[in-house]
Amino acid sequence: MLRWFDERLALKRFYNKFLRKAFPVHHSFFLGEITLFAFVTLVLTGIFLSINFEPSIRMVTQGGQKLPAAYASVRFIDSLPFGMVIRSIHHWAANVMIAAAFLHMVRILLTGAYKKPREINWIIGICLLGFSIFAAFTGYSLPFDAFSATATKIGYNIASSLPIIGHWFAGVFFGGQFPTEHSIPRLNAIHILWLPLLLGVLIVGHVLIMYLQKHTQPRYAEKVAPGKILGVPFFPQQALIMAVLFSFFLGVVAILAAVFIANPIEVFGPPGPSTPEVKPEWYFLWIYGFLQMIPSDWNLSVIGVEIGPQFLGLVVPILVVILGFIFPFLDVSRRKFRYLELPSRFPWRTGAAMGVIGFFMASTLAAYRNDLGLSMALSWVIVVGTPLLFTVVTAGIIRLAYGPKKRALPAAPAPGVRVQRGG
Amino acid sequence: MRDDNVKSAGAGAAAAAISRGEAPQAESEELIRRRRFLQAGVGVGIALTVGGISILSVTSSLHPIEKTTPETEPPAPGDKLVFADEQTHVLVPSDLQIGAAPQMVYPMDPKTKVVKGGTANNLALVGRFDPANLSADTKPHAAGGVVAYSAICTHLGCTVSLWDPKEEWMHCPCHHARFDPRNDAKVMEGPAPRPLPVLPLKMDGNDVVVAAGFLSPIGPQ
Repeated sequence: MLRWFDERLALKRFYNKFLRKAFPVHHSFFLGEITLFAFVTLVLTGIFLSINFEPSIRMVTQGGQKLPAAYASVRFIDSLPFGMVIRSIHHWAANVMIAAAFLHMVRILLTGAYKKPREINWIIGICLLGFSIFAAFTGYSLPFDAFSATATKIGYNIASSLPIIGHWFAGVFFGGQFPTEHSIPRLNAIHILWLPLLLGVLIVGHVLIMYLQKHTQPRYAEKVAPGKILGVPFFPQQALIMAVLFSFFLGVVAILAAVFIANPIEVFGPPGPSTPEVKPEWYFLWIYGFLQMIPSDWNLSVIGVEIGPQFLGLVVPILVVILGFIFPFLDVSRRKFRYLELPSRFPWRTGAAMGVIGFFMASTLAAYRNDLGLSMALSWVIVVGTPLLFTVVTAGIIRLAYGPKKRALPAAPAPGVRVQRGG
Repeated sequence: MRDDNVKSAGAGAAAAAISRGEAPQAESEELIRRRRFLQAGVGVGIALTVGGISILSVTSSLHPIEKTTPETEPPAPGDKLVFADEQTHVLVPSDLQIGAAPQMVYPMDPKTKVVKGGTANNLALVGRFDPANLSADTKPHAAGGVVAYSAICTHLGCTVSLWDPKEEWMHCPCHHARFDPRNDAKVMEGPAPRPLPVLPLKMDGNDVVVAAGFLSPIGPQ
C-alpha cells in the first residue's frame, strides 16, 4: 500500500526532504506554533460560524422582537448545541493568536533572529500580526450588537480621519458612513474570505522561508556540533510535540471559552441611539489610550490639508509599524546569522525591546486615564517616561549582572537531541 | 547617423560587427529592435489606459452613493422634537427638568409626521437650564431655557450619552470628551476637536421646535 503510493508520489523523497527537517529544542520556540494552531482553530470554528451567520442589517422578527438580521443570526448561533462555546472559542483563539504572535516577535527580537538572512520573514511576520489585528477588528463588528456597532463606528471614523483619501477609503471598506446596509456584508466578506486567504498565503510563505533558511540555532548547538543543524526531526518526533501542544492549546482555549463567554450580545442588545461605555479589546487599548491623550487643539494644517487629533492618534501606530519594518536593516553585519544571541549580551537592544513593551504598557495604562483620574500631563509623563525608564533600567541591570567583558556560559545541550547534517 | 546607431547597439556587438564588415546588418537589427520597443511601448500604454479606466470605474462604484430619504433628511425649521426611545412623544419644555441630564431626540416633520430617525446624524440632545445660567452666545439659540446640540461626538462619532451631574457637562463615553451645554457645547476636556454642533430652537405655542438646521458639520468630518 505504502509502496504503491511511494511509486506514484515519491513519498520517500518528500519525507527525506521535508519531514526530516530538524526542529531545535528550546523552551522559547513554541510561540510561533501556538499562533499557527490558533489560526487553524479560527478557520475551523469560523466555518461553523460563517454557515450560520447572516451578514445583513435588514430587520427580522425573532421571538417577537424586531432585530437586525446579523444580530438575530448570532443569537441563533448561540442557541445551537455548543454554538455559544464555539463562538467563544473563536473569540479566545483570536486573542491567543494575537498574543502569541506578539510574544513570538519579542522572542525573535530579543535573540537577534531577525538579522540577515531573515529580514524578509521578520517583515512577513509584522504583516501577519497587522492583518491578524485587522481580522480581529472586522470580526468584532459582525454581530452588530450595541457594543460592536459602537466600536466599528469608531474604527470607521479613525479610518476616515486619514488625510485626503480617508473618507473614500473608509467608505470602501465600511460600505459608506457606518452603519449602512452595505457595511456588514462588506466587513463579512473581508473577515471570512479575504483576510483569512491573505493570512493563509503569508503563513505558508513564512513557514516555507523558515524551512529554506532553517531555524536559528540555540547557543548549545554551537558547542555540541558547530556548523551543523541540531534538533529533532519534524516527523515523527516534532509532530508529536506539536500534537501535544495543540491539544494543550485547545484545552486552555476551551476552558477559557466555557468560563468567559465572548461578547454576550444578548446582554448588550441591538444598536440603539445611545452609545454604551466601550473599551476596546486589550490589543487596541494602547491606541485607545493615545486617542484620549491627544488634546483637542492639536490641529495641523499641512499645505491646506486639515489633520485632526484623530489622525494624530493613528500616526503613532503607523510609526511603530514603519520602525518595525526598518529595524532588521539597522544591523549591517554581512555574515549570515545562525546562532541565537543571548539577550544578556546585548544590553541596549534588550533594553530597547523592554522599552517598546513599556511603551505599550504605559499607553495601555493611559486607556484607564478616566477611571484612575490621571491628568493629561501625568499621562504624558508616564507614556514618555516608562519606555525610557524600562530601557535604561534593563540595560543597567544587564551591565551590572553580566558586565561588559564577562561571557555568559552556554547552556548544556538538552538530552536526546539528535545531530543532523545540513545547513 | 550610422555611427550613432552603432554606438547605441551595445559596444561589444557593434565592435564585432564592424570588424567583420557587417555594419548594415547591425543597423537593420537595431531598427527592428527599436520598432519592437515602440510597439511594446504602445501596447503597454493602451493596456494601462484601458485597465486603469476599468479599475477606476469599478473602484469608484465601491463607495456607495449616499441617498437621502424622508427619514434621513436633516432637521428643517419648524420640525417638532420627539424622544428617541419613545417616538410618539412630542417634546414640550415641561418634559425636561432644569439642570437634569439632556434627553435624546429626533426631529419630526410636523406635516408628514415622519420622524427623521433614519440616521444618527439627526440625533440631538436637549437639556433645560435656568436661562440666567446660559452664556450670551447660547441664549439666541435657546427657547425658554431649552438648548439642543448634535448628540454625535466631534471626536470619533460616538453618541454623547453620559452626563456629569457635578459640573453639568455632557460626557462622551468613548474617549471621555466633555462639553458644556450652557456654553454652546464648548469642549471642556478631552480629545474632541470641535464643540458639538448647535441646533437652534424656538417656541411655537407650547412646543419647542427647530429654528434652523445644525449650525456646523456633524461628527468628526
